Amino acid sequence: MEARLDRVEFGYGDRPVLDVPDLRFAEGRVTALLGPNGSGKTTLLRLLAGLERPRAGHVLVGGRPVPDVRASVAYAFQEAVFLSGSLRANLDLALRLRGLSPEERRSRLAEAATACGVAHLLDRPANRLSGGEAQRANLARALSLRAPLTLLDEPLAGFDERGRSQMLEELPALLRRFAGTTVLVTHDRDEALRLAGDLVLLREGRVRAAGPGRDVFAAPPDPETAAFLGYTLIPTDAGLAGVAPGGLRPGPGDFMLTLQVEEVVDLVTSVEVVGRGNGERIAVAFPPGQPAPAPGEQVTVSAPTETVVTFTEPPPEPVDRPSRASVA
Amino acid sequence: MEAIRDGLVEAFRLIGAGDGELFSIAGRSLLVSGSATALAMLAGVPLGYLLGRARFPARTLILAAVGTGMGMPPVVAGLVIWLLLVRSGPFGGFELIYTKQAMIIAQFLIATPLVIAFTAASIQALPARLPDLLAVLGAGRLRTLWLLAREARLGLLAAVMAGFGAVVSEVGASMAVGGNLAGDTRVLTTAIVTETSRADTERAIAYGLVLLAMAFAIVAVLTVVQQRSPR
Repeated sequence: MEARLDRVEFGYGDRPVLDVPDLRFAEGRVTALLGPNGSGKTTLLRLLAGLERPRAGHVLVGGRPVPDVRASVAYAFQEAVFLSGSLRANLDLALRLRGLSPEERRSRLAEAATACGVAHLLDRPANRLSGGEAQRANLARALSLRAPLTLLDEPLAGFDERGRSQMLEELPALLRRFAGTTVLVTHDRDEALRLAGDLVLLREGRVRAAGPGRDVFAAPPDPETAAFLGYTLIPTDAGLAGVAPGGLRPGPGDFMLTLQVEEVVDLVTSVEVVGRGNGERIAVAFPPGQPAPAPGEQVTVSAPTETVVTFTEPPPEPVDRPSRASVA
Repeated sequence: MEAIRDGLVEAFRLIGAGDGELFSIAGRSLLVSGSATALAMLAGVPLGYLLGRARFPARTLILAAVGTGMGMPPVVAGLVIWLLLVRSGPFGGFELIYTKQAMIIAQFLIATPLVIAFTAASIQALPARLPDLLAVLGAGRLRTLWLLAREARLGLLAAVMAGFGAVVSEVGASMAVGGNLAGDTRVLTTAIVTETSRADTERAIAYGLVLLAMAFAIVAVLTVVQQRSPR
């Protein structure tokens, strides 16, 4: 089911929070809303869920205005919230509120709980689950609804490092199995690229870039967006160059610069050399086995052309009315 | 000691014999205080919910006023209602003074701040995202209110207990606006005062025991409901 924001404006009092001329989430695709804290990601998700009403414009799911199609939407909040009672009672309530028969509820509940790894917790009080268990249960509740539009707010928050990487592996398959169109919120670039095919990059309430993840990542529209995506920004004679994460390597190459080494950090699996080049502080990872320079030395580093973007003109204005941001 | 022992013996005899006057007064107490508590719940729960959930400029001030109302002496509540309902007062035309209705109004005034404050506190203690969760799951307005009330049941039932406990045991307001008229507005607390002043300790003790038993029975039932865990 396609979701769309059409000339949507939203704010709290006089403070504008979102201004989205046109944004579509294509049917069956997983889209990550990526952006720094306060960029409007969660607000956009809440608009799609009908929890907020836009000041102007329309939020449409399957072509119909959102509050009318709430039954088509499943939402997992960042913080797992449960009613008192067992996890089973909580999952069952969600299905009951969708008007499903007892048999259907039983089968969906068991299926989602097993898939999300919480079947053994079903008879435990939901409010006493640990952080990771609660997050899995939260996901199970949303996925059990098998809604045409699934919204996930920071689905990997609350997990410890091991649980997070495990869920990062499991989640794509879970979404393929249980969810239709999916919009998830994250502030982590790698997480977004791992989980979603499409990216929408938000900053200060505006869409800075939207499209397939690889395209958005390869061509950031402005230096600020590039910096958020992890690009290293380096001033050059022609303007500003952005080197994609991992693009800078020791030795000569296409895009070269000399680094005055200031600090060398041993990260065991690699050595991080931090120095100053073209007036900027820049970090370069030296692979294991490659002799690292000492502080005070000069070293040549470079990046292949395909990892470098240049910003010769002033940063473009945010996406405005005539243009269309779309991940369709 | 002898007087107390004789008083207890006589009290149990009156209760055991089903003394008409005793049970008529007890029934009236239950009617007046039960009605006042029910009305206080009707008005106080929605107001408490609003104060617990909504954010508006005068909210803190209203909560402070409600807190002050919780400590209002019953006799002051009685005086306020007396001034309003007395024949020369603004609502004197309704001829409610020295009636059970006047007592219910006065007790309503005493119980409502307690119900509002307990409700607001219990609603505020719920996770802030709970109403949003119920909305996205598709619960309608009434279903949402019911589920929230179920979540806040500890506080809401504490509100009923506090409200009922406060009004069933008060004497000042009932005396002021009810007049303690035998067979009409006399309730257990005013009857205890009357019998004590007449030195009829047996009856006073009997009334006291019935009052305690009644309060205990009601609070025990509410406590059982309150402490029952949902599935």
